[in-house]
Amino acid sequence: MRTPLPIARILRVKALLLPVFAAALLAGLAWGSGGGGPGALWRSIAGLPLEDSVLADIFWKIRLPRVLLAALTGAVLSLGGLVFQALLRNPLAEPYILGISGGAAIGAILGILAGLPRFPWGSLAAFAGAMGTVGLLALFSSWRTGLGKDALLLSGVMINAFCGAVILFLISVTSDVRLFNILSWLMGDLSLAAMEQVALLAAVTAVSAAALFFLSHGMNLILLGRDTALSLGVRLEALTWVLLAVTSLMVGVSVSLCGLLGFVGLVMPHLMRLLFGPDHRVLVPACVLGGGAYMIFCDLLARILPRQGEMPVGVVTALIGAPAFIFLLRRAAR
Amino acid sequence: MRGRLRPALLPLALGLLVLLGAGKPEAGERRVVFDQLGRRLEVPADPRRVVALAESVTEIVFAVGRGERLVGTTRFADHPPEALRIPRVGTYIQLDIERIAALRPELCIGTRDGNPRAAVERLEALGIPVYVTHPMGLSAMLASIREIGRLLNAEGRAEELAGDLERRIARVAARAQAQGRRPRVFFQIGVDPVVSAGRGTFLHELIETAGGENAAGEAEGYPQYGAEHLVRLAPEVVVITTMTQGADFEAVRRAWGRFPNIPAVRDGRVHVVDAAVFNRPAPRLVDGLETLARLVHPAAASP
Amino acid sequence: MNPAAIAVQEVSFAYEEAAVLEGISFRVEEGDYFVIIGPNGSGKTTLLKLLCGLLKPRAGSIRLFGAPLSRRRRKALARLAALVPQAASAEAPFRVEEFVLLGRAPHQGLLGLETPEDLAIAREAMAFTGTAHLASRRLDRLSGGERQRVLIARAVCQRPRILLLDEPTAYLDLAHQAQIMDLMEALRAERGVTVVLVSHDVNLAAMYASRMLLLAAGRILAAGPPGEVIAKGPLEAAYGCPLAVETTPGGVPRVSLVPNGRRPAGRPPPGVREVRP
Repeated sequence: MRTPLPIARILRVKALLLPVFAAALLAGLAWGSGGGGPGALWRSIAGLPLEDSVLADIFWKIRLPRVLLAALTGAVLSLGGLVFQALLRNPLAEPYILGISGGAAIGAILGILAGLPRFPWGSLAAFAGAMGTVGLLALFSSWRTGLGKDALLLSGVMINAFCGAVILFLISVTSDVRLFNILSWLMGDLSLAAMEQVALLAAVTAVSAAALFFLSHGMNLILLGRDTALSLGVRLEALTWVLLAVTSLMVGVSVSLCGLLGFVGLVMPHLMRLLFGPDHRVLVPACVLGGGAYMIFCDLLARILPRQGEMPVGVVTALIGAPAFIFLLRRAAR
Repeated sequence: MRGRLRPALLPLALGLLVLLGAGKPEAGERRVVFDQLGRRLEVPADPRRVVALAESVTEIVFAVGRGERLVGTTRFADHPPEALRIPRVGTYIQLDIERIAALRPELCIGTRDGNPRAAVERLEALGIPVYVTHPMGLSAMLASIREIGRLLNAEGRAEELAGDLERRIARVAARAQAQGRRPRVFFQIGVDPVVSAGRGTFLHELIETAGGENAAGEAEGYPQYGAEHLVRLAPEVVVITTMTQGADFEAVRRAWGRFPNIPAVRDGRVHVVDAAVFNRPAPRLVDGLETLARLVHPAAASP
Repeated sequence: MNPAAIAVQEVSFAYEEAAVLEGISFRVEEGDYFVIIGPNGSGKTTLLKLLCGLLKPRAGSIRLFGAPLSRRRRKALARLAALVPQAASAEAPFRVEEFVLLGRAPHQGLLGLETPEDLAIAREAMAFTGTAHLASRRLDRLSGGERQRVLIARAVCQRPRILLLDEPTAYLDLAHQAQIMDLMEALRAERGVTVVLVSHDVNLAAMYASRMLLLAAGRILAAGPPGEVIAKGPLEAAYGCPLAVETTPGGVPRVSLVPNGRRPAGRPPPGVREVRP
């Protein structure tokens, strides 16, 4: 009976997933509505001149920020799902279930209605909305309701429902072309990615992912239940709030930049768990790489599948995510 | 006499050509312009590859005779029919930056209402100048025709067109003034729910210029109406247009028929018009104006 | 005099308004096999949670080896006292081996990276509890008895001086009940661990305990060696029904139910054998 030390396992997982991630990255750069292809991409990387010189702009100035943004968003949402599934000990949890997305959406819509440019003010507004809901969550769950771990979940669901109603209200009173902007943002929109946004999200993601990695053993212990975790020396309250804060920061920024993208946070952690086991020290890096690759892939499909224009990425993640999830359920049942 | 003139014609013609040619700017030269949002732009003096970021811009470019310079346009550009052959670059709300870049335009012409600011910024970050029009009303639309003419070195044609449109508008306005009263007009642009156009919209200006009183005039933007409100508004003329394809207009007319007390229904003045003419701030809008004038004041026949 | 392993002084506790424990005082000496019994709702589980710091008393004090419980940091406390919850509540997606290793957490750093020493301790704990052969099985695929032993293995990994168990023999059949109780005795005898366990099975407790505590309605009705606690008076007062107490040939007290209350106390009717609880 040998247990490979976790470091060895982590490195093995990374060795498996890094090529997948790299392949997704290259695919995302190579294909798109402006043409290109792997051959041209290779030539561009090698510094060789291209026959169609505008392709260099397309690869590096248009597609690169977009692909990077997709990867970061995928990583953030998958990590968010991982953390919430551990915190709430509920396999259906994902960042949106606690209403953080609802708050971010309200902030973003108000920003659009006020005519603010999407970056940075619109994003700030969305982020403020996300943090607002976290504050509300903190308030509600500090009340002693005797609901235990479900208190957090129920508060979140209620806040989410309320936010949904507010969003519908805002949509209903918007009667001009800003409506389209709102809807396209709501459905997830990576098409206007720029390097400043990527830089911001990269910084936030790097810090958050590192923090979550260091807290990953704590997440393992949380899974044992409140009493056991406490009796093993876990400072449960502090850990819960730090996890919540870090994840909300990361998810808030991502949602504010890219809109609402469902299913990634739900499906990715389960997939990674199925492949690599329940140890969060391995799952954190797995979700970063796997989630990133998945989102790049979905974005690529969103760009090249329709004959005209592009589908909203949020639609692709749901269309793939839902059947994938059902498939996972069946495998888990066996 | 003809014999002696003919040899002189050739050098004369050549001389004229040279003179004309000297007046034309060289390709590669740039100049500074200010778009309708007041932004300062550097644009090519004679852009040959232009992408139109809205269907209305496409129509105007063709109307000033520069349609052949368009290398890209938005998805629903269908007028004039030649526009259908131009490659598409997405919709005016969701522009495909990659495709636009791949077409290597020297200039993009967009519109403030609809084109996302972020998209314009992305294009400019790639070194593509974007001229943004802001046709808020009839006179601003005429100004954008003249501006686009200037951008594309078609000032003559643009001035001709704008002047002609101005005259037609003036004629409609004068005839409207000459009528005694202003009938209440309800302009329906949405089928389900019923949506009209209030103050501050193009349609409002059209109705008023055509000699009607906009029944939705107390509201701003695009208000929604329930059946009760419509009955109370009691419009005398109802004009229906809708952006959805394949909507059953007859069914809509019948829906109005449920309220025979509404003057427009009682007098049979519920009309359906072609949406494309009223949607876009382009020359055809004046066609729409004239149609509207005829519907509002049928008695004042055009000469 | 050595400080007691656990010294409880005038402890009271209440959930919201309902008082659960009132004025509880007792001592557990190091190396005791201490069993807490009492009817449902008497506050046994609450007391156990207080003893390992999961709950804070409203009044009174608890000292572990002379130092107040409230002053100890969580992790230090975890190295001192380990809690074994009921088997039914263990629901985690881990394999047995991973799960048992989690018991080393109080001795590890933030990332919980397992050293070879940790692995050795875990392996040894599994051998001790007879669960080594279950190493790669999933926790939720085990039987009740197996899972209970795995939980104990995890607690043993904590290398505690005090082991607290909450009804470890509930839902187990007779053979497994004996197995668990024997395991506790082995821990106590071989490693000097102080065992404190809550049980609903009075007779089983009497067979193993060195000292017992009888709780009813949040108060102590009796404390001391089994012979003093398993007595008709306190037990009938605690459980509120007629009981018969006798001593087995081995000297272990045993209580049995009296089926209907009209029998004279202490005498079974002629020809009727005792009813085992």
